[in-house]
Amino acid sequence: MTDAPVSHIRNFSIIAHIDHGKSTLADRLLQATGTVDAREMKEQFLDNMELERERGITIKLQAARMNYTARDGQHYVLNLIDTPGHVDFSYEVSRSLAACEGALLVVDASQGVEAQTLANVYLALEHDLEIIPVLNKIDLPGAEPERVKQEIEDIIGLDCSGAIMASAKEGVGIDEILEAIVHLVPPPPDTVDQPLRALIFDSYYDPYRGVIVYFRVMDGRLKKGDRIRLMASSKEYEIDELGVLSPNQIQVGELHAGEVGYLAAAIKAVEDARVGDTITLAATPAKEPLPGYVEAKPMVFCGMFPTDADQFEDLREALEKLKLSDAALNYEPETSSAMGFGFRCGFLGLLHMEIVQERLEREYNLDLITTAPSVVYRVTTVKGEVLLIDNPSKLPDPQYREKIEEPYVQVDIFTPEEYVGTLMELSQSRRGVFKDMKYLTPGRTTLIYELPLAEVATDFFDQLKSRSRGYASMEYQLIGYRENPLVRLDILINGDPVDPLATIVHRDKAYGVGRALTEKLKELIPRHQFKIPIQAAIGSKIIASEHIPALRKDVLAKCYGGDISRKKKLLQKQAKGKKRMKAIGTVDVPQEAFMAVLKLEQ
Amino acid sequence: MTLLYSSSQTMLLAREYAGQAIDPFEAPAAAYIHIPFCRRRCFYCDFPISVVGDRPPITDQKSGVGSQGEAVVRDRINGSNSGAIAHYVEVLCQEIGCTPSQGHELETIFLGGGTPSLLSVEQLEQILHTLDQRFGIGAEAEISMEIDPATFDLEQVRGYRLAGVNRVSLGVQAFQPELLAACGRSHTVEDIARAIELIHQAGFQNISLDLISGLPHQTLDHWQESLERAIALFPTHLSCYDLTIEAGTPFSRQYKPGVTPLPSDETAADMYRLAQKTLTAAGFDHYEISNYARPGYQCRHNRVYWENRPFYGFGMGATSYVRGDRFARPRKTREYYAWVEEMQAALDSGISPFTSPVTPSSHDLLLDRLMLGLRLAEGLSLFALSQTFGQETVERIWKRLQPYHQKGWVEVQGNPGAIAPDETIPPVPGRIKLTDPEGFLFSNVILSTLFEEFS
Repeated sequence: MTDAPVSHIRNFSIIAHIDHGKSTLADRLLQATGTVDAREMKEQFLDNMELERERGITIKLQAARMNYTARDGQHYVLNLIDTPGHVDFSYEVSRSLAACEGALLVVDASQGVEAQTLANVYLALEHDLEIIPVLNKIDLPGAEPERVKQEIEDIIGLDCSGAIMASAKEGVGIDEILEAIVHLVPPPPDTVDQPLRALIFDSYYDPYRGVIVYFRVMDGRLKKGDRIRLMASSKEYEIDELGVLSPNQIQVGELHAGEVGYLAAAIKAVEDARVGDTITLAATPAKEPLPGYVEAKPMVFCGMFPTDADQFEDLREALEKLKLSDAALNYEPETSSAMGFGFRCGFLGLLHMEIVQERLEREYNLDLITTAPSVVYRVTTVKGEVLLIDNPSKLPDPQYREKIEEPYVQVDIFTPEEYVGTLMELSQSRRGVFKDMKYLTPGRTTLIYELPLAEVATDFFDQLKSRSRGYASMEYQLIGYRENPLVRLDILINGDPVDPLATIVHRDKAYGVGRALTEKLKELIPRHQFKIPIQAAIGSKIIASEHIPALRKDVLAKCYGGDISRKKKLLQKQAKGKKRMKAIGTVDVPQEAFMAVLKLEQ
Repeated sequence: MTLLYSSSQTMLLAREYAGQAIDPFEAPAAAYIHIPFCRRRCFYCDFPISVVGDRPPITDQKSGVGSQGEAVVRDRINGSNSGAIAHYVEVLCQEIGCTPSQGHELETIFLGGGTPSLLSVEQLEQILHTLDQRFGIGAEAEISMEIDPATFDLEQVRGYRLAGVNRVSLGVQAFQPELLAACGRSHTVEDIARAIELIHQAGFQNISLDLISGLPHQTLDHWQESLERAIALFPTHLSCYDLTIEAGTPFSRQYKPGVTPLPSDETAADMYRLAQKTLTAAGFDHYEISNYARPGYQCRHNRVYWENRPFYGFGMGATSYVRGDRFARPRKTREYYAWVEEMQAALDSGISPFTSPVTPSSHDLLLDRLMLGLRLAEGLSLFALSQTFGQETVERIWKRLQPYHQKGWVEVQGNPGAIAPDETIPPVPGRIKLTDPEGFLFSNVILSTLFEEFS
């Protein structure tokens, strides 16, 4: 590794909307600087989790150090710090931006600015980052670079006269981008002589080396063998391994202010080295930690139960392990009369929840039942106590309640003009309060609504996407709690209330939701040998009712030589379905049923 | 005349009682031959077949044979398409000729389809001759053939018998013209009576009839009538199939199971119960989920499948189970021909086209044994299962069967009560079997529970 004077270091990230070509651009930069040669180039190097590749999004950020000899003949070290691309992870984005002095704003030349991009640009501006606009995909027939430039100027107020025209896919504009980074992004301040302060912008758990911490040295220097202190957790460790990311880990002896690297120090869990925490030296600690550290707060909660009660301990272990690499994940044991033992888990958002669920099932081989997500309600009892309720079945009965408040968010929806009508309809139907509408540029509109988080945390995002054919995007932030006439809607299967199916809904929507939910459950729950009534109730009042007719036969009429393999597969499928069901009393309820409330046609 | 329970059949049962494992590597003594041609495709059928049509031929190639109605029938069939069938028989025989014998002569042969009665007597002789050359055909072999009403005349069906066929299975399906029409059958109710007459005249005594329950617009009364008219024809064997709506068939596009005009599941289940009641009262044994036989007339060939014993398979789409490997041949004519050609080419250049023996996992063997064995009225010997798969497996099976035992869907037989069976102690020795008709009707519920346990 070349030693880099602070003046020759450039730290930058890439801000882009999903699909606008961030990963491809990152790949090209790695190739152009010879950091990764074409042979070892996996497509989209930075997204190295299997799940990320499948979903085409970045969940966990990564970094890459590149050596670049600029046209001025000088050798520079460029550190690319990647950012995750989803609303659920905006805190992590803010920490990686805080580790940079500049950012590439990558906008698809045919699509224009999206809400997510906008939110991150504002974050970058807050951190005084130098922003370099890049119009990507200019090779596409639909590219309108002039319009999009104008849009960036109008919306963000960024001078686009020097915007770089690029096509990451075709390798166009890559050299210009590298030169712009060198000349426009300021070098880090030279604070090598100050006490060590390094900002953690990511960490992950490695079963052999403990937590691997990714950091940017803001002040001072650190060496292998140094004893470090994490200022938020006040824990101390000795550095076993110090290195840079290229993007593979390469060990070095020392890192100084301005540099980006990783360390391993036998840290047991990611929560001991959280994103945003400051690393200092135990012997000569800094006086103040770096600003901006926040402990991530879960917004959405759900119950997770093993389908097979024997897997409870396995689930606990898996959550413990996931928690090692995911500080935002919260969980505590939960017991449900219907589901047995499980955990109430808290997540940053719905995507985070889905990712954790998928990882538990894929990486830990667990069969899980996940209940529909809930937000945290604030209940004031008649005695004046204030309770925080993250589980609908725990909502006190009406006679004990003075009022229920629910969290509200401000949602900024960014959409082409023609979808304004349908998206306003969607927001109204989700109890949204219209706040503002702005015409940013001809044809582009921002809608601002205040909505209950509970309405956003279900299928709002999916609906937004499908109603706008994928063109609209959104961003939300918590704005506080508001009182509403809310009721608990219970579901009874075969006469017994099933607490994981209980939901908290607005009184005016209870009938509609009750009807839709019983109909959906009728579709999802398989026939049994007896008739099964399914009811929705508020308190003791039944408001909707359906029934599943009894199973009368289930037999394979023909099974000769040629049928055997096919019939066996059929039975195996049926058995697999059975395995993924939870016995509620005498009724086997499939996993999807617990998510039914998310799948209602409203 | 050969038929009845052969001595080897009895031996087999005795062997299973004695707890001897059925060996998937033993040499097959059964062969299935697929004849994929049909005059048209029935609306419920998803078999690999090739439709030859029933248009009158343009040129009458066999005008010398007969001149009356029967000949017309045969010529209509053999006419313009006899070339395609003849070519298929050539390739089929080539495939048989390529297949090494595993060392046992054939005790059962089953010609299924499609419509095997579209074969000329000469073509059938050619196939049986090739099989005999290759494997040998036992003196007491059961040779079954599926035939369809209105596809043969007396001379032809007599020819089949003389060629060695000793059991025929007639595709009747229903006795109501409107039901036959609704499922796209190419024969009439009158054709059924005529076919039976010809079969009797040809000297066949072992006759099976196929019926389908659960057809669109079918009522319980229709079904009762079909069962009674079938019994009146004195068959030795009956197959009664509850209609399955298979994906990709015209029926699957038109109908939804359990929804009118299909009978409700409840009515379809009642049809199943009615068949059980009517046919057992008439002296038939309900020996398999969908099969009934007069004592001594169970289909020996089909029992090979249910006992999970090996068998050869020849022809387009046919499956074989040899040396532990279930292998399905290509389901399209062109691909099947190419496959046989490839195999022949490999043999000619001295390369064995056969894969080395596959050892199915004991897990797969167990699932096969359970799925197939519980289709039979006699069920499975727990002792035999414990010999092959161990005592623990039998205990797990017994434990999962408890709720169904209590429900009366599973029963225990042949346990003299030496050990009173309880939830944890399986009734060994003894057999577990599904009850008739209720256990059979819900067999998938029971089997999927066992599959769940062992997956």
